[in-house]
Amino acid sequence: MAQEVLRLQNLQKSFGSVRALKNASFALNEGEVVALLGDNGAGKSTLIKAISGVFPVDRGEIYVRGQKVSIRSTRDAMDLGIETIHQDTSLAPDLSIARNLFLGREPVNFKWLGVFAPLDRAKLRDAASTLLKRVGISKKLDADALVSTLSGGERQSIAISRAMQFAAKVIILDEPTNNLGVEETHGVLRFVKEVRAAGHSVLLITHNIHHVFQVADRIIVMRRGEIVAEQTVADTDLLTVESIITGADMSALLKETRAK
Amino acid sequence: MTIAAEEEMPGAKRRSSLIRSPQFSSLIILIVLLAVFAIADANFLSPLNISNMMAFLPELGIIALGMTLLLTAGEFDLSVGAVFGLAPVVVMLLVQNGEAGIGVALLAGLLLCVAIGAINGLIVTKIGISSFLVTLSMLLVVRGAALYITQGFPLKSWDQPGFFVTLLAGSFYVGSFRLYTSLWWFVGLSLLAVYILRYAKLGNWISAIGSNRNAAVARGVPADAVKIWLFILTSVLAGLAGMISAFRISAASPVAGTGYELEVIAMVVVGGTALTGGRGTILGTIVGALMLRAIRNGIVLIGVPGLAYNIFVGVIILAMLILHALLQKNAARS
Repeated sequence: MAQEVLRLQNLQKSFGSVRALKNASFALNEGEVVALLGDNGAGKSTLIKAISGVFPVDRGEIYVRGQKVSIRSTRDAMDLGIETIHQDTSLAPDLSIARNLFLGREPVNFKWLGVFAPLDRAKLRDAASTLLKRVGISKKLDADALVSTLSGGERQSIAISRAMQFAAKVIILDEPTNNLGVEETHGVLRFVKEVRAAGHSVLLITHNIHHVFQVADRIIVMRRGEIVAEQTVADTDLLTVESIITGADMSALLKETRAK
Repeated sequence: MTIAAEEEMPGAKRRSSLIRSPQFSSLIILIVLLAVFAIADANFLSPLNISNMMAFLPELGIIALGMTLLLTAGEFDLSVGAVFGLAPVVVMLLVQNGEAGIGVALLAGLLLCVAIGAINGLIVTKIGISSFLVTLSMLLVVRGAALYITQGFPLKSWDQPGFFVTLLAGSFYVGSFRLYTSLWWFVGLSLLAVYILRYAKLGNWISAIGSNRNAAVARGVPADAVKIWLFILTSVLAGLAGMISAFRISAASPVAGTGYELEVIAMVVVGGTALTGGRGTILGTIVGALMLRAIRNGIVLIGVPGLAYNIFVGVIILAMLILHALLQKNAARS
């Protein structure tokens, strides 16, 4: 059994009278792609926002590599090695690829100048091209190109490589294939496999069950703020998962899940 | 373009990105404009007239520097003209009522600007009201305050020679050109602004916040704090410009700076900074400030009647914006 990287225990979160997250527990292992599925309003976003530090949970614990942690800000999450990539909100289009890759963690000279410290441009550019080369997209992309000139798939790849670069233990991908063409979608999914091969763990949030079966090792299904099923991909099939998501014939499936 | 285009590139690529950059088309327009005025009236390029333009230029130019940074981060400040009026009025009232020496009074005036900027910034970021509405209201409050505390009458400004007058409104001759110290303020602050926006870590944050605030926040950039400080900076620069102006003309009027907010925004946008945030250029703003100054000065010289003055200014700004957009489109296509 691979080493456990992230464990969530009894996470709860309410917004006013709405219980967005009732009692969520699961674990993520090293080098594993876990897909988080569920209909709109199932609590997927609440769950990942809690993990990535957008807001604190009301109750419950988060463990990173067995250590109990408290995540109060996105910065906390990043420092713990949890990187979240949202479909449209991950990159600043008016900045170059290099500047985006290091946004918030810019290499600088004269560090004592604080926010007024000058960027170390040589280091910025070198690190960016090294990174682009490592992830195999340097042939097409120049580190100085503006992100606004890139396609959706390229942007997604840049965002994911940024997460890999900071040696993230856990990479959360929020609908990474939304609004992408067929070709680009395959590119991103291939990239997810590479990320796993490099030893990172991925939590993949998506609506597209087909994609899940192409890349995920395990599937977690949420409904109404609860985790209702947890299965390895090898042990299930598309129709079964679909029926769990919609809630049809739940009882039989739940029994099956619990029996394991 | 903004930042990426400035980094080293092979020659040809660098040239083409330079031509495509918004500052470049602004620079061409400026040169054409100067040429037209120079041909229309020989006095336009006379030492006296150039000295005149250089005396006015820093007063709006200094505010435009702050506005450029603020617009790049995706926010407006419409209260700058009112702050330009209020700050020197407060300074002079303190001095005339014998409540403070000139140095302390100037400091108090600047602290007031800090407070105004901080209130703008806090309301915009923490309560989440658009900066357009917040600073529009602040414009009324600040202008109203200036009128009320002076009862509408202009005050005589500090005109005794001394350290502060020299510092803010001293003048000296270079050949036959009379230049004011305010020009040095403008040059120094411009260099600082270029450094911040293009070379410093802070500039990367400012552009990122204006380009995609959520992305910046997700990377741990303190977007709200940056914006609040930029509001404070813009207010302080507006107050400083107001004091420079009041010292130069030896009068502090409660209606000084009326309409400056729009002229400053015009300078910034004509220079190539995006009104929507993310892309800012200080060099463009300097070109824009020169351009608007030249227009105001040039059309008076060529004899446009006083009351028709604003019609011409408005039409020329519009024409420049259109020309600018067309040049940009062409450059992008080629």
